[in-house]
Amino acid sequence: MATVELRAASSARGTTTKVKKRKKFNSETLPGVLMASPALIGVIGFVALPFVVAIVLSFFNVRLNSVRPPIFFGIEQYVRLFTDPIYSVPFFRALVNNLSFAVVVVPVQTAIALALAILLNRKIRGIAFFRTLFFMPVVFPMALVTVLWRLILDRSDNGLLNSVVSFLTGGAVGAHDWLGSPTTAMGSVILLSIWQGVGFQMVIILAGLQEIPQERYEAAQLDRAGAWAQFRHVTVPGIRNTLIFVVLLTTILSFRVFDQVYILIRGAGLNQDATRTVLYQATVTIFDENNVGQAAAITVVFFIIVVALTLVQRRVLRQTSED
Amino acid sequence: MANTKTKVKLTLLASDTYTTTVSSTPASKLPDVLEMDGPTLSNYVYNEKLAPLAQYVSSATLANATAGSLAEGTVAKKVYGLAMFDSALGIYGNKKLLDAAGIKYPTGLSDAWTADQFTADLGTLAAAHGGKALDIHEEYGLGGEWGSFAFSPILWSAGGGLITDNKSTGVMDSAASVKALNTLASWKPFIDSNADGKAFTGGRVALGWGGHWNYPDYSKALGADLVVMPLPNFGQGSKTGQGSWTWGIGAETKNGKAAGSFLDSLLNDKNVTAMTTANGAPPATKSALAMNTNYSPTGPLALFAEQLNKTCGNGPITTACVAVPRPVTPGYPVITSKFSSALSAIFGGADAAKSLGAAAKTIDQNYSDNSNYK
Repeated sequence: MATVELRAASSARGTTTKVKKRKKFNSETLPGVLMASPALIGVIGFVALPFVVAIVLSFFNVRLNSVRPPIFFGIEQYVRLFTDPIYSVPFFRALVNNLSFAVVVVPVQTAIALALAILLNRKIRGIAFFRTLFFMPVVFPMALVTVLWRLILDRSDNGLLNSVVSFLTGGAVGAHDWLGSPTTAMGSVILLSIWQGVGFQMVIILAGLQEIPQERYEAAQLDRAGAWAQFRHVTVPGIRNTLIFVVLLTTILSFRVFDQVYILIRGAGLNQDATRTVLYQATVTIFDENNVGQAAAITVVFFIIVVALTLVQRRVLRQTSED
Repeated sequence: MANTKTKVKLTLLASDTYTTTVSSTPASKLPDVLEMDGPTLSNYVYNEKLAPLAQYVSSATLANATAGSLAEGTVAKKVYGLAMFDSALGIYGNKKLLDAAGIKYPTGLSDAWTADQFTADLGTLAAAHGGKALDIHEEYGLGGEWGSFAFSPILWSAGGGLITDNKSTGVMDSAASVKALNTLASWKPFIDSNADGKAFTGGRVALGWGGHWNYPDYSKALGADLVVMPLPNFGQGSKTGQGSWTWGIGAETKNGKAAGSFLDSLLNDKNVTAMTTANGAPPATKSALAMNTNYSPTGPLALFAEQLNKTCGNGPITTACVAVPRPVTPGYPVITSKFSSALSAIFGGADAAKSLGAAAKTIDQNYSDNSNYK
């Protein structure tokens, strides 16, 4: 294995041909399968099977733990989800909310994480303190983060953000309902989500930055490359794979957004229509309204959309990494 | 009557997931004795999770239950749940602030605020005292059970409601219901978001829309300045919610007799009084209620006792009755989820007729999907 790794470092293309030439089955096949099996069993048991069960459930009218047998519903749940306004309007709104969250969070959070990582990638005294400081929100549970931000975004004059705005403008701008207003509700959720999550991406990018050999910067400096040129032609290519990983990860996490929305809608007057996500809707449908069939249909449609988006994204990113 | 022979194993669940946990536990795995929120009881009976109590609990205990406790615990003429305490809603007032703003406030049910007068007084109070006038416990979450419990009374008072004869369209989205929620939404500029839970006790607002459970804290903070008033009258007389957590016996219990005697002892005067002293609730047994000084005709919470005395029970809601239990129907989970979510949307600025219309249609669809829960 050690030789393969060395080759991978020197020439990626060489490794691929080497692997291709191998026989289909050899002495490593059995241990390989054995070693992969815990993960495979996990994927089958916790992802594939539940998905199949969800598809089956979505064709029935099933109540949460009802003693009555499920009633076969055919594609009724899907027809409602797409055509009956009392179901389709909230569902599409939730999809749009999810997408707008992802469209803002993925680029912004990645960019901020990159900027923070570069700032913190210095060898100065006390840098560990700042790294810990920026990483800290990641360790906080989302429930705690939302309670903090609820006080910051409170709509009264005493709300921290309102006080700051009023102080900075000399009282010219009055109190604003950051969470309740449909125009700022999603922005507020995005803001606190980035604040909480950015440290995680930052740490991953920081690790990538430290992998870049110092000689490349020295060579670039010899060629009289300025700071910006060094960033564009040494730093970014050096952490391209890390960045792709971070973008994929952030995308998946941003489709899973739930905790902060749930807590803020339920306890802090967050504007529901503007922020309700698909997962929130599915959770309410199953656990508050006991409607398992409908919730299953929602998750099946959502799963297909997320998988499709992820495949597209992977394709686009892979192409750029090949040239 | 101390019982030292029965051993009881106590299982505690987190309050925010309690109902979900019990709902999703099969009857065979439920404990012998369990507690549940009153309006969910009917759904548990429908799903065969509860046993009728008459076979296990003594007749003295049943006879001692208040009308409210029985109204909430009875499905198809059988009693499945008995409560230690009932609940009450009202407007708490800070006398000092009200007097300072020159507000004339009600002294009882007969001169309850009209909705218009209440709206006007909120404006006066807000202008006189720092911009906010009312706390409605937004921190409990309008999108949850608190929203349904606290604000369905204004629908009933306006002549609307949640559901009648398994049909919500025409009731929840009636002109009266829409108007009532529009009025509530119009109060938002005067309402303190109460993020720190101290809006009323800290003197930031003069009025608090609250339950009996606020009384111990409020009376400690305000002392003689605390006044207890009925909810505003939206046309059909002031209405209030009632009903709280109630006790039942699991349908598949193997220790029914012991479970029954456990409930007998839980509902004796000593235990009920210990409970209501701690949470300030109106006792749900006749004997404990008679002994309670807070709810006696001269006590500070006499109004709450009077409201519960004038219960509408499960009958029609008239101008004469005041306390209305939430609908006893197996479809209650979907009613409360849809209503509270519409309520919180309307409070956030959404169109009331549209939100309530969609909620009512979804509820009706749910009832027809389930053959009206028959």
